[in-house]
Amino acid sequence: MLITGIKSKPIYAPLRFDEGGRYHLMLGLGVGREPLRRVLDEVRDQQALAVARTEVLYVPAAGDTGKATDQFALPGLAAVCLFGNSNALLEDFRARLGRSLMGTRLYVAGPESFIGMAMKVALDFNLNKDEIRAEECGTLARRVRCIHCRAITEDVKTNIAQCIGCGLWLLVRDHYSRRLAAYMGVMADAEAPGELPEIREVFL
Amino acid sequence: MSGGQTIEVVVKAIEQVTPLIKHFQLASPRGEALPAFSGGSHVIVVMRGEARVHRNPYSLLSAPQNLDSYEIAVRRMDESRGGSHFMHDRLRVGSQLEIAHPVNLFGLDKIARKHLMIAGGIGITPFLAQLEDLHGGLVPYELHYSVRSAEHAAFLARLQAREQEHVHIYYDSENQVIDFEGLLSKQPLGTHVYVCGPAGFIGRVLDAARGCGWSPSHVHWEQFSAPPTGDVFQVQLARSMKKIVVPQDSTLLEAIEAAGVDVPYLCRGGVCGFCQSKVIECDGELLHYDHFLSDAEKAGGKTIMPCVSRARANHLVLDL
Amino acid sequence: MSVVFKPDETFRGEFTYSNSVAAIRRFPLPFAEDNYMYSVNIEPHAPGPKGSVTEFAFDVDEHYVAECKERALVLAAEPLRYQALPHMMSSQWDCLELVMESLSHDYPQLFSLERRSNAWHWINRPLGLDQRFTFGDVASLPCEPLDYATRQAQGDFVVMDQRDGDLWAEAGMVTTQADWSMDFDLGMTFREWHGPVPLAHEMQVFDRALKFLLNLRLGAPVRRLNWTMTVHPRLDTSPENYPKWGQDRARVTAKDAGDLVHLRVELQGLWRLPRSNAIVFGIRCYLISVRELATVPKWARRVHRVLKGLHPALVDYKGLTRYRDAVVEWLAPFDDGAPTTPGAGPE
Ligand code: FES
Repeated sequence: MLITGIKSKPIYAPLRFDEGGRYHLMLGLGVGREPLRRVLDEVRDQQALAVARTEVLYVPAAGDTGKATDQFALPGLAAVCLFGNSNALLEDFRARLGRSLMGTRLYVAGPESFIGMAMKVALDFNLNKDEIRAEECGTLARRVRCIHCRAITEDVKTNIAQCIGCGLWLLVRDHYSRRLAAYMGVMADAEAPGELPEIREVFL
Repeated sequence: MSGGQTIEVVVKAIEQVTPLIKHFQLASPRGEALPAFSGGSHVIVVMRGEARVHRNPYSLLSAPQNLDSYEIAVRRMDESRGGSHFMHDRLRVGSQLEIAHPVNLFGLDKIARKHLMIAGGIGITPFLAQLEDLHGGLVPYELHYSVRSAEHAAFLARLQAREQEHVHIYYDSENQVIDFEGLLSKQPLGTHVYVCGPAGFIGRVLDAARGCGWSPSHVHWEQFSAPPTGDVFQVQLARSMKKIVVPQDSTLLEAIEAAGVDVPYLCRGGVCGFCQSKVIECDGELLHYDHFLSDAEKAGGKTIMPCVSRARANHLVLDL
Repeated sequence: MSVVFKPDETFRGEFTYSNSVAAIRRFPLPFAEDNYMYSVNIEPHAPGPKGSVTEFAFDVDEHYVAECKERALVLAAEPLRYQALPHMMSSQWDCLELVMESLSHDYPQLFSLERRSNAWHWINRPLGLDQRFTFGDVASLPCEPLDYATRQAQGDFVVMDQRDGDLWAEAGMVTTQADWSMDFDLGMTFREWHGPVPLAHEMQVFDRALKFLLNLRLGAPVRRLNWTMTVHPRLDTSPENYPKWGQDRARVTAKDAGDLVHLRVELQGLWRLPRSNAIVFGIRCYLISVRELATVPKWARRVHRVLKGLHPALVDYKGLTRYRDAVVEWLAPFDDGAPTTPGAGPE
C-alpha cells in the first residue's frame, strides 16, 4: 500500500545565485539561514548593483537572538527583515510580490512545509519554475491533507498519522500538491480495519 | 498524417491594405462554419502552382468568435520562394485553396497577470486575433506596434477603433522606436511578453528581456520567415528508397513531399520540432536553420529539421 | 446497434450491474498478448468497426442512463468531485461543444443539438432533458458548462491547460476513477499528476507522451487503453471513499473471485480543444466481471496468463496485492495451455 518511487515529490537542489535575474528575493526559516548566507556570498562577488537589489526575509529559529545585521552581514542589501513566525513573513512576502517587477528571482531555504507555503504564494503571482529556487533543510516533517475530510495536519513526522480533522489514521503518500502545499494522506487501515502497519518516524 | 486533413476554402475578398500587404478572407465554399480556433493560431495554406506546391504558414487575424470566414494577411516578400508571390499575384476572389486545421504555437498564457504584445510590421497579425480574446477581460494588456510609416501600418483603423487605450504605434518614418529596455524593465511580476515580427526585431526584444532579468518561460515569440534558399543538394531516403534532388529555392521538406513521402509537420518554420528527421549518413555539413534543436544537437549531426534546414554534402541519407 | 438501456442497475449497494451478451462481445480487452507491460500505446482515435466501443468519439452503451444516475449520486454527496479553475472557462465551453456535437451527430435518435449562432437548443432523450441556452453565457445553464455536459456523458473528463511546455490538469469531472483524486491533483503538471504510476517514469513513457500531446492537433484526437481491477462493479473507487471500498479487497476468495472481481478498462481519449487550445482527457471506464470475461474462452486464457505474470510493482500500484492470486486460481481451470490467437478480439 505504501507506494514508493512517486514522482510528484518535489526535488530540491542546493541554492545558487541566478545571474539571469535582476532582483533577488530571499526567504529563509531557521536553518535555512545557511543556504541563504551561501547565496549572499555569491551575491557579494557580483556587482554592487546586485547587492542593492537583494532583499532577505527571515524567521530566526526560536532562541536565536542575533541582530538582523549579524544574521546576514552583507552591507548594502536592499532589505533584511526578520519575522517572528512564518505567517508574518508570508504576509509581507505577498505584499512585496505585489510590488515586484519582472526580473525577480525567488530563493527559499527551509523545511519543505515552509518552501511549499512560499511557493503557493508565488503561484498566485504566476512565478514559474525558472524563477524559483528552493533548498530543503531542517525538519522533513510534512503537511498532510486528509483525502477524506480535507483537513490539513501539520508537522507529520511518521509514516502513519492521525488526521486532525476526522481522526482516521492516514498513510502519507509521496504524492505532493503544490497548489495545496501538502502531501496526500489516505486511510491506512481501510482494507483491514485496525491492522495498522508499524508507525515509524520517517520524516525527521 | 503530415499536415492532417485539410479544409477546402474559397477566397471571398481580397484587399490591398498597404503597398506590400494583402488581406484575404477565406470561407467554406458551402457556407459552413469553419473550425473554431484560439488567438495566435496559424494555418498552413496549400498553394498548388503548376510547377510546385507551396505550403506557407499564416496567422489567423480574424476574431476567433467569427467562424464564417478566416482572415489572413500576406506580405509580399522581396525574394519569395513563390509562396507570397502566388498569394499576391495568382489569387482572385473565388479562387480555391486548401488549408490545414489551425494550430496554435503562440497562445496567450492563461494565468498571466498581464499581457505585453510587441509587433513589428506584418507581425501584427496574430495579435489581432488575440486582442479579440482579451477585449473586455480582466487581465490588463498592451500592444506596441512598430511600422515603417503610416502608409505601412496595416489594420490601423481597426486597432484604433477598438483598442485605443491599449495600443501604442511607433513610426520609423518619424524616428519613433520602441524602447524595449524601458518597457520591459517596468512590468509587474507575472507579465508575459509576446513578440512577432522580423528576425532582427524579435532578437532585440529577446535580448532586452534577458537584460531585464526576464525568465524564458515568460517570453514568447513567433516568426514565419520564408525558409532560407541555398545550393542544390541530393538526399537519399533510406526507408522509402528514394533519391531526390533539393532545388535551390525549395526546402528539403518540400522536395521530400514532392517525391511522395509524407513527413509530419506543424509549423514549417523550424519551431515546433514535429518534422525532426534522423540523419543516417552525411559526408558534409548540415545547415541547421531551425530554432528547435539545441546547439549540441545541431553539432551532433544526427538529426535535422527538413522544413527549414539544408545540407552541403555529396552523400546525405535520412531515415525516411 | 440500437441501445437498450438498463436504467435501474446499480454500482453500489446491491451492485446489480451486469453486461449483456452483446456488451461482453464488444468489451475492449486491453491485452493483445499473453503478457502486459506499459507502452506508449497511443493511436489515432479514428472510428472503429461498427458496433465497437470506438465506432464513435464517445461510446454510449447500455449502461448510459445508470452511469449518469450514479454520477449524480456521487456529486450530490461530494460536489467537489467536479472542479474547474477560473481560467478554464473557455475550455469548458469547448468541452461542452465537443460532447454535444459528437453525441447528437453519432446518436441522432438519442440526442439533438440545434445551433442558431449562440442560441443553442439541446435535447437529451434518455435523460429527459430539454435545454435552451446561450453558448458562452454561463448564467444560461443550470451549472458550469463542463459540469453540465459531463453529467450527461459516461466516463471522467480532465481538462489540461497548455503552457510553459507542460500540460496542467485544471478542470475535471471525476467520479468513476481508479483511486486518484481530482480535488487533490487539481493544478498539477502532467508528470506530477501521473507521479504515482510506477515504472512508467523510468521507461520515459510520460516524457514521450507529453511531447506527443503538446503537439496534439485539432481534429486529430488520439486514444489508448489502460486497465486495473476492482472488487464489485464499483465505478467510484476514489481515494476519498477508500474507507468504503477498501475492505472489499480483503474479502475476495478463490471461490467468489469470478463474481466479485471486475476487470476495469479505461478507454482514454484525448482531444485538442479549439478556442482554449487546451486538451481534454476523457477516461471512459468499462467494467466486466471475471465470470463474464471467462465466457469467452480466449479471454479466460489470456487474462489468466497476464495476471499470473504481472510485474510486482504493477500488482502493488493497481491495488491487486490482496486478491490477484485468488483471481488467478479462479481462472486456472479455464486455461488449458492452448495458444491464444493474436490480438485482443474475442476470436
Ligand atoms: S515543421 Fe515545425 S520544426 Fe519543422
